[in-house]
Amino acid sequence: MPFNQKPQTFNAKINEVTIGSGEKAIKIGGENVFPLYSFDAPIENAPKVGVEITDMGFENACAGIKDYYAGCATIADMAKKASEMEGADFVALSLEGGDPNGENKSVEELVALVKEVAAAVDCPLVVEGSKNVEKDGELLTKVAEALQGKNAVVMPAKEENYKAVGAAAGLAYDQIVGCESAVDINLAKQLNVMTTKLGVKSESIIMNVGTATVGYGYEYVVSTMDRIKGAALSQDDAMLQMPIITPVSSETWGVKESVASEEDMPEWGPAEERGISMEVMTAAADLAAGSNAVILRHPQSVATISKMIKELV
Amino acid sequence: MYKVLFKFEDGSTVESFATEGENLLEVARKSNVAIDAPCSGNASCGKCKIRLVGGTLDSKKTRHITDEEYNQGWRLACVSKVNGEVEVMVPDIASAYKSRMKVADLSSKDEIKIFEKAKSDIEMSGINLTNSLDVVEVEMAVPTLDDTMPDNERLTRALRKYLNIPRVRIPYSVLHKLPDVLRASNFKVKCVIRTTSDDMFVYDVLPIDVDVIVGGLVIDIGTTTVSALIINMENGKILAKASSGNGQIRYGADVINRIIESGKPGGRDRLQKAVIDETINPLVQQMCRSCGIKPQWIYRMCIAGNTTMNHLFAGINAEPVRMEPYIPAFFKTNSLFASDVGVAVNPDAHIIVAPNIGSYVGGDITAGTLVSMIWNKPEFSLFIDLGTNGELVFGNSDFMMSCACSAGPAFEGGDISCGMRATDGAIEACTIDKDTMEPSYSVIGEKGIKPIGLCGSGIIDVISELFTCGIIGQNGKFVREGKRIRHDKYGMGSYVLAFEEEAGSVKDVEITEVDIDNFIRAKGAIFSAIRTMMASLDFDVSMIENVYVAGGIGSGINMRNAVNIGMFPDIPQDKFHYIGNSSLCGAYAMLISTEAEKKTYSLAQNMTYLELSTVPTYMDEFVASCFIPHTDETLFPSVTLK
Repeated sequence: MPFNQKPQTFNAKINEVTIGSGEKAIKIGGENVFPLYSFDAPIENAPKVGVEITDMGFENACAGIKDYYAGCATIADMAKKASEMEGADFVALSLEGGDPNGENKSVEELVALVKEVAAAVDCPLVVEGSKNVEKDGELLTKVAEALQGKNAVVMPAKEENYKAVGAAAGLAYDQIVGCESAVDINLAKQLNVMTTKLGVKSESIIMNVGTATVGYGYEYVVSTMDRIKGAALSQDDAMLQMPIITPVSSETWGVKESVASEEDMPEWGPAEERGISMEVMTAAADLAAGSNAVILRHPQSVATISKMIKELV
Repeated sequence: MYKVLFKFEDGSTVESFATEGENLLEVARKSNVAIDAPCSGNASCGKCKIRLVGGTLDSKKTRHITDEEYNQGWRLACVSKVNGEVEVMVPDIASAYKSRMKVADLSSKDEIKIFEKAKSDIEMSGINLTNSLDVVEVEMAVPTLDDTMPDNERLTRALRKYLNIPRVRIPYSVLHKLPDVLRASNFKVKCVIRTTSDDMFVYDVLPIDVDVIVGGLVIDIGTTTVSALIINMENGKILAKASSGNGQIRYGADVINRIIESGKPGGRDRLQKAVIDETINPLVQQMCRSCGIKPQWIYRMCIAGNTTMNHLFAGINAEPVRMEPYIPAFFKTNSLFASDVGVAVNPDAHIIVAPNIGSYVGGDITAGTLVSMIWNKPEFSLFIDLGTNGELVFGNSDFMMSCACSAGPAFEGGDISCGMRATDGAIEACTIDKDTMEPSYSVIGEKGIKPIGLCGSGIIDVISELFTCGIIGQNGKFVREGKRIRHDKYGMGSYVLAFEEEAGSVKDVEITEVDIDNFIRAKGAIFSAIRTMMASLDFDVSMIENVYVAGGIGSGINMRNAVNIGMFPDIPQDKFHYIGNSSLCGAYAMLISTEAEKKTYSLAQNMTYLELSTVPTYMDEFVASCFIPHTDETLFPSVTLK
């Protein structure tokens, strides 16, 4: 009996969101099939890969990352270098130095840095906050203002500060709001509902529904993303049709498999290879589960994942 | 030793002594000063606020107290240590749970309406409303030198002859008074007896001219509130009704905290005393006084309470109820008597205990199920008891399924900064003007009484009104600003229902975002339990013909508002029925009718128990329900904004 393919396409689709402006602007989402199911129907926009840099530089990073940015005098130089990485679609700038429990850099200092970076790159830009909800309420508002006209992603807007971040980024300065929730389909939807009720258009929202490194309770991530795509496509749930962006590297480069030195764990092999493996495995799984964009650090991970996407889509 | 003086708003005081470093809440407990501490002194609920008016107190500032309040002297009793002579003011709201024992006015028909209805419903179903207690008049021959039969034999023979029952039992309490009574009344007496076909028990013997009332006591032991009735066993008439806070509250607001406390040395005793000596006995005394019956004329009683409450009432180890695999000491017991536990009624009074179904579905639910009558109807009904634990029973005359969810004490005002039980001073209903955002409300109590807090039905109204007026968003956070909306320095919003000058206490009556959050969790627990139970049967909520809502959360719930906030399924309003305190009502039916008692045992035995914690989707349903009205708005098509 011949094989009769029955394509599983849906009447609903994931929102198509444009990030950035000008020639290098990218689009994510827009598909009406399950993640990477290009055999069911053409995938409107292939998932995208971002390269993450941070305001803290990469002094403690592994050799492969440090070598790549060798010779960069400023963060803006690093941003430019990142945008030129093979396979990179956008640059993600993390402002982790703003955390009041860490470096506690001032809003002014960080906003000035954001402006320099924005001027240095012509690709789409994602700005990630300090991981402190109160600081981010103020910081990301100013970041959104500083990036006027860039159509950048400003994230995260969380339950505690979505009003400030959402109103500035989504309403006042026309950026894309990245809504972050903690690996729970209902919390993700609730935040989208609240953000749209503020007046932010759903086409200006993307979601970070949370991730973990593979092996660290990752089943919950798969289940959450899977059910979000299921509800968005099969039930036409407009409040879950926002594309998903997943910051992978900030999770994976912190786990012990990536951090433990080779002297401590000789049987595990070279530390850098392990770190790359964790980053690639997590990113690949995120994409298969439903992420429309991933944020990575290591040049080899970026190259690997973008190659994977090209071959699958 | 330092002197500690507790002052109350009504001007009264209590003097006590404490050693350096002693915890003020402990001192208060020791001195029988009621300060509400639902979290059992962990500084997490913020309910035990007292005001330092003289002397010194070593007290940390906590997140529950603003700078302004701290400067005015407000402290949390549970984090305060005595370090010198001190005078503190205990505001009404801190002791509201205890001091406001309420004896109902039975002249209004409303108070007894539900009992009358339950009685006729049960009778209609073919159950006989009779019990085995009776009063008989007996005349004996006066003893002489030729007739030397002892008193007890004389009475036994007379009774045996009179009723033709082979076995007659006379307890010590009757024997003790027998010679005096017989001689005082010239051997013409009244006996209060219990009869079965071959056995008779003599509860009391009284002179012939005494107008004895065969009394019965009905008690609903709630985790938060205890309600009671005294009835006439001969005709079922309700003679008195009263309620008060459960004295165990100071050992924790929920059953888990109570069980933990009961596990400490002497804990079981303390908790039993708190509910019997401090709560039930004063209620019995008050009621007896109001209806003119003697406590020793109460010959039988029935209690209905959740599994933990009836274990703690009986002084039985409740730890296994809390620990996996959650096995209580009993579901049903016939072996409790008033003298065993110290209830101040006739010592031989038998205690009927409404049977438990599981560790978390107790006698309050089986008693409630009896009077909800869902077991007597072919169509499907849902019975919901809104208490500290929310319990559900769904089914019809063919089958019934029950489950319990932990709603927390919010429905009875716990975990809510201005929350209180449904007693005098509680806002029980409220509407808010959409444009001016001004509230109008009704307060329990005499006309003109000022509000001091909010009870469950009031909270439902306020949250529904805030939501439909667009003052709070679906996540319960404030989105509009105005004169009655304010934010503390951490940005937490609140809505002021009554400013200090409009309120009946020393504080504003307000509802904060944290309160709303707690309430959303409580209603989320209820709704997700309904959804999960219905889904486990593969039923849709549209198949529910009737919803019977019980619980002491106010004189009535505005069902429209309860649907608006997503607490109950969105089905037509006329399908909802508020049946009041069904646990008390069911216990009443069990007491007046032996057949109803037996029926309740069989209902309990035939009910399937669904353990929600073993259902994998329950947590998802719960998070989805913690939104107003729900994360899936399509479940609530009729909910609209004003």
